[in-house]
Amino acid sequence: MDRRRPFRLDPRVCFHTVDLTEPTADSRVAEVLAEERTEVVVHTAFRSEPTADLEMDHELETIGSLHVMNACSAAKVKRLIVTSSTMLYGPWPDNPNFLTERHPLRGHPAAHSVANRIQVELLLEKWRSRNPDTEVTVLRNCWIFGPTYTDHVTRYFARPLVAKLMGYDPLMQFVHEDDCMHALETATLHKHPGVFNVVGPGVLPLSTILRIAGKRILPTPPPILYRMANYPSKGQSGDAPEGFYDYLRYLWVADGQRGWDAFGEPVYTTREAWMSFVSSRRMRRYR
Amino acid sequence: MNEEVEVEKSSAAESSDVLSPELLEALDGLRGEIRNRFPERRPAPVETIDWMGLVQRIQRQLSTLGMSERSGEVDEFGMDEIVLRRARPLLELLYEHYWRIELHGVDRIPDAGPCLLVANRSGLLPYDGLMVSHAIWRRRPQLRPRFMVADWLITLPFVQPYLARLGGVRACRENAERLIRSGESVLAFPEGVKGAAKVFRERYRLKRFGRGGVLRVALETRVPIIPIGIVGAEEAHPILFKWNAPARAVGLPFLPVTPTFPLFGPLGFFPLPTKWVIRIGEPISIDHLPPDAASDALLISRMNEQLRSEVQLLVDTGLSDRSSVWD
Repeated sequence: MDRRRPFRLDPRVCFHTVDLTEPTADSRVAEVLAEERTEVVVHTAFRSEPTADLEMDHELETIGSLHVMNACSAAKVKRLIVTSSTMLYGPWPDNPNFLTERHPLRGHPAAHSVANRIQVELLLEKWRSRNPDTEVTVLRNCWIFGPTYTDHVTRYFARPLVAKLMGYDPLMQFVHEDDCMHALETATLHKHPGVFNVVGPGVLPLSTILRIAGKRILPTPPPILYRMANYPSKGQSGDAPEGFYDYLRYLWVADGQRGWDAFGEPVYTTREAWMSFVSSRRMRRYR
Repeated sequence: MNEEVEVEKSSAAESSDVLSPELLEALDGLRGEIRNRFPERRPAPVETIDWMGLVQRIQRQLSTLGMSERSGEVDEFGMDEIVLRRARPLLELLYEHYWRIELHGVDRIPDAGPCLLVANRSGLLPYDGLMVSHAIWRRRPQLRPRFMVADWLITLPFVQPYLARLGGVRACRENAERLIRSGESVLAFPEGVKGAAKVFRERYRLKRFGRGGVLRVALETRVPIIPIGIVGAEEAHPILFKWNAPARAVGLPFLPVTPTFPLFGPLGFFPLPTKWVIRIGEPISIDHLPPDAASDALLISRMNEQLRSEVQLLVDTGLSDRSSVWD
């Protein structure tokens, strides 16, 4: 289901046009689910990047998810899979080095998209207690890198000159798009109820990541960077720049052991996911 | 030789009107000889600077700056072996010559398995953590305890990346348990910021040991606790008094006033060359305790106090043994 028919859709796939931001989207989704006798619902209708339209983001992500949940309980599906993000834990100076799934979702006060998704997870928690027959799987993935995946993070890292907060060098953690899709596929086909972090093994400091890609680094003191990036950032994502740059300032590495136990060891480590992204963009300058 | 040639030349010029073929031949031979012996001095070629090449070379050097000597491989808590190896001469210098550290009782650390080392905290920057883990590494190369660092320090810009590369870990239970489970020993300072903020008058009087987090970690992971008393480090940064108003403005827990600190600017942060003695005590075994002892709050606080007095005893022994702060 989507708002538009995707380009080059496999003919075996039944497609339905649904707009989750409509007020009656829940009955429409329930109709489709009943018509197709659906057993598993994979809910991925989230913006891959935050937009400046805060209200629309909220309508789609939070209210749209609520519509999906209501439709699922009406259609009595067996399994509901929701994608989420480890960004929901939030970058905080007092985070432990590895955040487990039990860690509270603190988010970031300036990132509205993260706040919306935390609301989704809270709603989902309530919904799960009301619908004990449905298995709910939540996949929290960290920043995805790979040859084809694009969002505001990959676009930021694709720039030749990358601004970095002076004096901060947090450990970063990425996951490859193939590993992410593999986890989603395994969760769809097999029974894995619960919350899982979907992350790549290994961590790398931000400065090393940028050096591997041969990027020019612009270390900027945080107050200056936040002031400089204020208007571009508000125009692009609708958030103050802290909503993104704090993720390059403090630690928010998640512990992926539970996910690896359930979905198998990932093929790509953090370094390999990053290398795959870099080599696909031909960003590394071989001289 | 030169004069001879001159003479020959002048004689040839004088007799230019009577040119016999033999003479011409001889002159030619002489010219050839001269040419061979004194290679003609050519004008230096005009050096054209390859601007594009130069620009490219500088670009290459800039873009690979710091690549060659950097491993980029860090362990999961951010420790970089290569940075550590390069820092070792400096640590060794501080250890041997600056603080002249004495280490007693290193044999008490068990050979097998990780352990939880507990020491008294002092000083603003974690010199004591670095030194104790370096001291233990010198005697037991297979064992390098990771030292715990207070929250406010691990988030301090510029300091944080280096601390993490050198093996510092943010002090929290999750990190300690994870490190011990992965087989590494952990050096904890349960006094926390209160320990670092001790003023000179209160030196070597140990503060409360947190809320027993160290004991909970030990009970959870079933590792022995080893008390360590550090003498000398608390005089390296003698805090005369704490000045709170400006510290709040920049988000620090306190601003220390030492004999040198605000006076000499950042230079005043340099610690004094006191004599350090590190005493390692007998391991405290927790094997006799039941596994669910972690939920017994009274037991935890009692053991916590016992641990504090063990460390205090080690510190007091060290204090009574030394004759002065400096030697």
